Amino acid sequence: MESALSDRLQQSGFATAPRGRSVPVAMKIVVAGGFAVGKTTFVGAISEIDPLRTEAEMTVEGLGVDNVGQVEGKTGTTVAMDFGRITIGPDMVLYLFGTPGQDRFWFMWDELARGSIGGVVLVDTRRLEDCFPAVDYFEALGVPFVVACNLFDGVATHHPREVREALRVPANVPVVLCDARRKSHVQETLILLVEGALRRAQARQGR
Amino acid sequence: MRPYVLTQGRTKAPDATYALEAQVRALIAASSMSRTTTPEARRIVGLCETPVSVAEIAARLMLPVGVARVLVGDLVAANAVTVDVGAQDAANDVALLERLLDGIRAL
Repeated sequence: MESALSDRLQQSGFATAPRGRSVPVAMKIVVAGGFAVGKTTFVGAISEIDPLRTEAEMTVEGLGVDNVGQVEGKTGTTVAMDFGRITIGPDMVLYLFGTPGQDRFWFMWDELARGSIGGVVLVDTRRLEDCFPAVDYFEALGVPFVVACNLFDGVATHHPREVREALRVPANVPVVLCDARRKSHVQETLILLVEGALRRAQARQGR
Repeated sequence: MRPYVLTQGRTKAPDATYALEAQVRALIAASSMSRTTTPEARRIVGLCETPVSVAEIAARLMLPVGVARVLVGDLVAANAVTVDVGAQDAANDVALLERLLDGIRAL
């Protein structure tokens, strides 16, 4: 019945959604950086939902990675991640996942980075060294990333050029100033990231 | 109650390990589920009437991601929901990235 109806609608020029295509494609961007650097603020500035918090337990998710089995009877360490969602259209949804505040939860980073388009490394220029693990991680993984210097109180304490030199990031990695509270700044940062990812994908496709 | 009581101690989803962003969609109405269904299963199916991610299910039900995965896996096995594994290689998919870029610019 249903397919007959669908056929008739198509014949009469009505567009019908193809069956099985009603689920949007999910894209993912990782927002990393040190503790309390503004990751959840960054996500919340552009997310259509208030950032949600989800928890993973190391005893389950990190087996074989952190070898928690050696600690008999230890209850699992819980790792919290905040994330937001942006509906790009009926066919696509973008998730922004903040990495756990503590960089030592590497197993979670791998899970977050898998299938992601790339990362935003949020930097507090007063505590520059806090972002080193995130920069190292994305570099080692070879995924596109952008370094965004969070303008706390809207004030730039360092020029992006100084941050670039201090971090020694490659020339193809953008370093920008970004007030994580402002949607337009967050949007611009994400655009830079996706542009970089697109250029890389095009180059790999050889066009 | 300890979360893994809900999964009878199981820590692995029967199928693949669903990505955090994997989209879960209900195939049945929550109201049509049998009375013996757990409240969690009913809530998951209710949430997925429009597609939602595994991470959202975990967050909304206040369950660890591992537990949410197992429960979603059970619902997949019961043909109550379906999980879309999504783009396999989004980072190298020019068409998807172009679409995403246009979408972010238009926000």
